[in-house]
Amino acid sequence: MLLVIIKSIIIGALGGAAVAAGAARMYRAPEIQAMGAFRTLGELNACKGDAIAHFSFGLGFFFNAAGAIVGSGALTQDVLHRIIPNWSAGALLVKNRNVEETLYSPGRMAVAGAAVGAVTVTLLNSIASVIPMSLSTIAQGILGPASALMIDTVMPIIFILAALDAGRRTGTWGIALSGLAYVIMGNATPGAVLGIIIGQTIEEKGYSKSVKIMITVVAILFILIGYFRGFGEKLLAFI
Amino acid sequence: MKKLNELLLKNYTFPLLTGLLCAAIFAGSHMFVVHGFGFFNEIAQAEMIRQGMETGDYAAAVSFAAGFLIARVLEGPLVGILDIGGSLMTGVGTGMVGFCLSMGWDAPVKSFVLALIAGFGIGLVIGGVIIAVKKSMPESMAASGTNIMMGAGNAVGRYLGPLIILSAAQYSIPAGIGALIGSAIFFKMKKEIVGGAILGALILAVIFPVSV
Repeated sequence: MLLVIIKSIIIGALGGAAVAAGAARMYRAPEIQAMGAFRTLGELNACKGDAIAHFSFGLGFFFNAAGAIVGSGALTQDVLHRIIPNWSAGALLVKNRNVEETLYSPGRMAVAGAAVGAVTVTLLNSIASVIPMSLSTIAQGILGPASALMIDTVMPIIFILAALDAGRRTGTWGIALSGLAYVIMGNATPGAVLGIIIGQTIEEKGYSKSVKIMITVVAILFILIGYFRGFGEKLLAFI
Repeated sequence: MKKLNELLLKNYTFPLLTGLLCAAIFAGSHMFVVHGFGFFNEIAQAEMIRQGMETGDYAAAVSFAAGFLIARVLEGPLVGILDIGGSLMTGVGTGMVGFCLSMGWDAPVKSFVLALIAGFGIGLVIGGVIIAVKKSMPESMAASGTNIMMGAGNAVGRYLGPLIILSAAQYSIPAGIGALIGSAIFFKMKKEIVGGAILGALILAVIFPVSV
């Protein structure tokens, strides 16, 4: 048991510090390379500046994670995607409501993330059994469909609409790549994002060399993902 | 703190951050293989590794994860945000770990210290590749379209509160009413309705459980 706690503290502190600093870097993307996820950025923005919103948002997923770890041993991706970034932001915002000095500060977020990560991972790994199974199933039952709708439907729609509003060229690229992304990757958002980038670059600079390189990279990307996800076989099944 | 902030925003600290995160994720997979819990991923991916441990065949886990890893590593520098779910949690935590086990390299997975070192090394390489790709991209390319994307990204967050209210109402009548009351109170208090919706739905759903 002691061994599990020590390991959990080390894992949580390392991962928490890195992911929280990565989240703060997201506010400077794309000039500065960040890590996290677009949805994490959207969700952080949704609660921006409000400590209680950050805490309760993380709490919902905490029950969810507790349920998953009791049932299957998996912490869920939400620990790194949602719980640690939101609780780190919430913890910092209690003392200082200025997001420039808290949520946007990679140093402070890293420190808060290390503490939150160590506590969260240790809690989940050691005393997951004290969370009533029923509460986590309820949380999963409510948050699960909402997140699925958000990721599978709402996000792609928002990004495709943003592409359509940005002009004919961007719109065309957005539609084409998001459709392809949906059939190949199972989610349209990455395609819409790439469509917006390519379309906007063409609109600003024409078919320059850099655009051609980017289109080639994107084509290779789609082919590789299609290959690894068995897209060819799935397609051939219809013939 | 100011110096630390500047340091953490440098290009060369990015591989360090991915390294630290991968160390944690790889060690999380170590926890899962050795202790049976602590895996930084969804239940489905945990089942893939569990299946591999039982049958010795990790092909499903490795091929599934490799696609995510390659896609996200190429996409990361293009859009400026590396998706850690696909690239690191699935790609490294599931794929690389499955790969090591399938090759019979049990040591980096079974030993906690070696897991941290292996994860850090893999993360360092991934972060380095991403920064190299980003640097080799012509200037200003990534800047195009960013405003549109950021605008869309911000719009996404607004949808979560209403979605949770709908989802709670679908779950059960008490949960739906709880979500409504919670979000109304939070709205009145000028707070984001997401938190109120979740708390309200959870409280009423616990008091009035769905009969199974």
